[in-house]
Amino acid sequence: MKITKKIINKIEGEATLKIHKKNHFIEFVEIEFWQYRGIEKYLQNRHFMDALVINPRVCGICGHSHLLATAKAIENAFGIKPTEKARILRDITTGLEIIQNHIKWFYVTLFPTQIKDQSYILKALNLSSYVSKIIALIAGQFPHNSYIIPGGVTCDLTNLDILKVETMLKKLKDEIFNIMDQEGNSEDLEKFFENLPKNIGKSLNRFLVLGDNLYFSKNGSVKKIKEKKTTSLYSNVLYEDKFYEVGPLARNINNPLIKKVYDSYSDSIYTRIFARIYEMNLIMNFLLKEIKNLDVCEPSYIKPTVKNSQGLSVVEAPRGSLVHKVEIENEKIKSYEIIVPTQFNLSNGTKENPSAAQAALIGEKEEYLDSIFKCFDVCAVCVSH
Amino acid sequence: MLLKPKIIWIDAVGCNGCSHSFFNKPEISSFFENFELLYHPLLYTEDLKIQECDVLIVEGALKANFSRLGYDLNSLITELFLKAEKIIALGTCAVYGGIFGNGLMFEKEQKGKFYKCRDKIINIPGCPIHPEWLSYVLDMIRLDRYIPLDEFNRPLEIFTYTSHMGCTRNEYFEWKIDAENFGTKEGCLFYYQGCQGPFTHSSCNKILWNEVNSKPRAGTPCFGCTEASFPKKNLFKTETFMGIPANIPLGVSKRAYLTLSGIAKSLINDRLNKKLIECKNENNKKNN
Repeated sequence: MKITKKIINKIEGEATLKIHKKNHFIEFVEIEFWQYRGIEKYLQNRHFMDALVINPRVCGICGHSHLLATAKAIENAFGIKPTEKARILRDITTGLEIIQNHIKWFYVTLFPTQIKDQSYILKALNLSSYVSKIIALIAGQFPHNSYIIPGGVTCDLTNLDILKVETMLKKLKDEIFNIMDQEGNSEDLEKFFENLPKNIGKSLNRFLVLGDNLYFSKNGSVKKIKEKKTTSLYSNVLYEDKFYEVGPLARNINNPLIKKVYDSYSDSIYTRIFARIYEMNLIMNFLLKEIKNLDVCEPSYIKPTVKNSQGLSVVEAPRGSLVHKVEIENEKIKSYEIIVPTQFNLSNGTKENPSAAQAALIGEKEEYLDSIFKCFDVCAVCVSH
Repeated sequence: MLLKPKIIWIDAVGCNGCSHSFFNKPEISSFFENFELLYHPLLYTEDLKIQECDVLIVEGALKANFSRLGYDLNSLITELFLKAEKIIALGTCAVYGGIFGNGLMFEKEQKGKFYKCRDKIINIPGCPIHPEWLSYVLDMIRLDRYIPLDEFNRPLEIFTYTSHMGCTRNEYFEWKIDAENFGTKEGCLFYYQGCQGPFTHSSCNKILWNEVNSKPRAGTPCFGCTEASFPKKNLFKTETFMGIPANIPLGVSKRAYLTLSGIAKSLINDRLNKKLIECKNENNKKNN
């Protein structure tokens, strides 16, 4: 057996893999993250509202989900809920962030592991910038806005704005359906698998959903998760002492079409990628329904009553369940804790008890490593918070 | 004119937000046509080699004992810095340090590690940067045109403005009418909500974000993210001194500002002192 070290980049940030292999087959992979930025400490003693500006900077690609998680954690600490109007707007912008992330992940991150063709990157960036524009109409800008605040949202849209957003959503739906149609047909997905088997990268078959934003429903309780230190600069995350897979496949496994793919290919690389792309269609349909219920006359924001308390929130972010925990005392942050989806999927377990990404790699040919690893849509930037 | 300038784009300590913001650039294909990307942290390129380049873009802050691609980050940047013709410090992290570390030319307002080599550096602060800002600087380098800079090596064509300029809430600022709360079309966010627009160097309300909007237009205060002090404490609260904003608009004496405010406040603008649109729920429901 030989162990080689490999730094994986061209993901969000970088991961270090120690690959145990025998005759070009992967026996086991140790996962390490060697970056640390200290955001949780940075928040201490600041006003709780400052977290709404700092936390999106955890991540340049999925920072909007961190914003939602922050606002919700503070709302839970104060025991308040936003108005229906604010909730719908939050669903639209965070739903669009998921779509934006998936487009870039599929064409910019994953595609080049098989097909190095710049036209796909241009296609992705043109489309993802259109998605950003829709978010910006509501949130002011993308990335790094702070329009979601405890008690609601900062914007006060007119019907004129909302109609414009709706028109753009409809156009976006057509573009998304061109990538994969309602029946799950996708030219680009088939192209990606031209020289790659569909049944590799099978993992744990254990799925976890802890957030219930958008149309997602939970299958577990966040109280049952535990963090455990690893030898590198991050913590493993376990649920009832077991590793689970979080993300688009986990939260859409009960969709009839995705279930059908799962029944044929199990939780392989193909099913995982299929679920991620098809999720864009499901979110589009959901948002186009939701926007019809927007009532501009409802208040955008209701000022919360501040109190000393703790709050916990979970949102389904692009890569899976994202957990934020805040403790507030005299309007200041006493402690803050963040657990990101990549920690669940890319925990560093053992050969006997591997995490989702490790399990997917064990027993596979080394030449498939890059594609299998990246099919989990790794966000090392988030891990290094 | 340089034919296809070679770019190395390196991610120091940050969030990749400047890269993702740049990806929103309209007509991004022109970037790929006009420049050769030797390395980028996200886009497909060759592996990083320490080599000469026309433009080194550093995104993110410097930090001791931080590993990047198997190198020590600060040594890696020093090596690349010495081999590059021009350096763009991209984003507030790379310019001033921001949340995560130290900038190239500055550590907050103080002189930084590469201050002595400032002739090679162009600073584009912002958290994140606006895609048009970077495009402008890159194109000017490619066309070999002179880029006028201020004393912080920021391009004047971007940073001579304040983010207040062009804000749709300007009328409320003129008449000193504050926003009573978040989530309203009406009112200026400078008096209570912490808006730093009048003293922040940036063109956010001139060159709009994603071509359509800005934070203050969406009811969010400007957080001064292009400045060395970013992120200040109490970002959603205006610091006051005896009831008056502690930081006043750039270029005005405190006395002049107070005189003008006093007069504007005493002259009531009836139109702006009420809701712009009185909303009636029933009517709106019917429309739906």
